[in-house]
Parts: sequence; C-alpha cells; structure tokens
Amino acid sequence: MKQLSETLGIRPCTLVYLVLIALSLTAFLVGRLGFSGLGVSLLVLFLALIKGQLVGSYFMGLGSVRGLWRWLVFIWLFIPGILIGMAFTLSYQ
Amino acid sequence: MTADRSVLPSNYPPGDLAIWIFILAELAVFAIFFAAYAFTRLQHVALFNEHQLTLDREAALINTLALITSSYFVVRAVSAIKVGDRRRCVHWLLAALSMGLLFLIVKSVEYVQHYSEGINLSSNIFYMFYLSLTFFHFMHVIMGMVILAAIAVMAARGRYSRQEHTGVESGASYWHMVDLVWLILFPLVYVMR
Repeated sequence: MKQLSETLGIRPCTLVYLVLIALSLTAFLVGRLGFSGLGVSLLVLFLALIKGQLVGSYFMGLGSVRGLWRWLVFIWLFIPGILIGMAFTLSYQ
Repeated sequence: MTADRSVLPSNYPPGDLAIWIFILAELAVFAIFFAAYAFTRLQHVALFNEHQLTLDREAALINTLALITSSYFVVRAVSAIKVGDRRRCVHWLLAALSMGLLFLIVKSVEYVQHYSEGINLSSNIFYMFYLSLTFFHFMHVIMGMVILAAIAVMAARGRYSRQEHTGVESGASYWHMVDLVWLILFPLVYVMR
C-alpha cells in the first residue's frame, strides 16, 4: 500500500481512504442491483472484512504496533466474520 | 531521547491504554450483536429478506461515506498535531465533526420515516434487530462526536503539541472504532440477503 501510494504521489492514508470508498460503492451496487445468494453475500462480507482490516491497520495505526495489539482488529473481524459467514451458509441449506 | 512513535514500531497502540480497553469491550458487545442477528436470521430468512428491502440503502451509503470520510479527516488531524500544527488539527477535527453530524441527520430522517410508517421495535424480529443495532451505533456516534468536540476545544486552547498528543490519538481511536463497527453493520443489515 505504501509503495503504491508513493507511485501515485499520495499519502498511504489517502490511498486507503479511496480504496474504502471504492469497496463501499461496490457493496452498495451489489445490493442496489438486486444481487443475492450465498456467493454474493459472502463476497460482500469479505469486502467488509477487508475494509475493517484497512481501518485497523492504517487509520487506527495498529499496523505499526508489535505483539497482540496488532491483531486486535483482525481477531475482532475474524470471529464475527466466521460466525456471520457460517449463519448465512446454513441459511442456504 | 524520545523515540518517534510514528517511525519505530511500538508495543502499544496509539493513545491511552484505557481507551483501548474500552474499545475492546465495545467491539465485543457489537460482535455478539452481529452474531445474534445472523443466527436469528437463520430462523426467519424469508422475513429478514422481505423487510430488508424496505430499508433505505441510499441513506446507508451516504452514512457509510460520511463515516469513512470523517475517519480520514481524523487521521489527518492526528498527522497535523504530530508535526505541531494545532490550527490544522482543529480544522480537520471540525471537518470530521461535520461528517458525523451528516450521519446523525441522515439516520434521524430514516428513523422519522420508519416511525411515520408505524415501524417500531415490536413490529417484527427484523425491525427489532435493525432498530436496536443501528440505534446502539447511533449513540456511539454521538459519544464519539462529544469526544472529538472536546479534543478540538482542547487543541484550540493549546493543550496538545507535537510532543504530547495522547488525547488526540485516544479520541481518534474511539472514532475509528465507531467507523469500523458501521463497516460491518452496513453490509450485514442493508445488503447481505
């Protein structure tokens, strides 16, 4: 992300901001266009987890922290992410 | 000699450790809420899918963009105080607050619309979850805005500097948590079906 931001000549946090906007618009369009189904739901969930990790690493600054704190947001995203994914998968069976 | 935290990796996250304990507790509560929503939906898939369509996705998108933008502004405020630019820090914090206010206005309009349509917590299990989850988050946005406003006032009064800006980092961390929660809430409640 840092290398790409240097290539584009913008701050890493600005690049992250633009990626977050793009991913949010993608999720919105998926809903707006009426796409549904397990694959679509899991894709939207995955995009949300990526956005959460970007916020944790770059906005909250956990990407530059050593030890367990670095994984705080990842663990928080992982546990509900798995549970939500599991519940939606079961709803299609 | 004091090490520059922005350059060297630290053992602790930015801001006061106490705010991170608070953030951890808040995140745990929201995680339970999200899991409860997903597993309750499992028992009422048709009802959840039907009533989810009544929600205003455009309003939710505006709110998502508002919170992401406000989080970005807060990042810029922290960057400004780290180089000792108090004036710019205050400006970014005020910009972040304006985005928070936009969120509150849009969400309030949504609530008024639901109320006028006779929708409330007792309408059905979907609206019970939707209203509880989003209102719980709404209260956190208000709390975050109070914190950001207090920080902006203190920054304007010269309380923070390049050397001491723990308060700004603590408030920023809380605000990012509010944004983080919405990033999961938005697709879960408004999009996934």
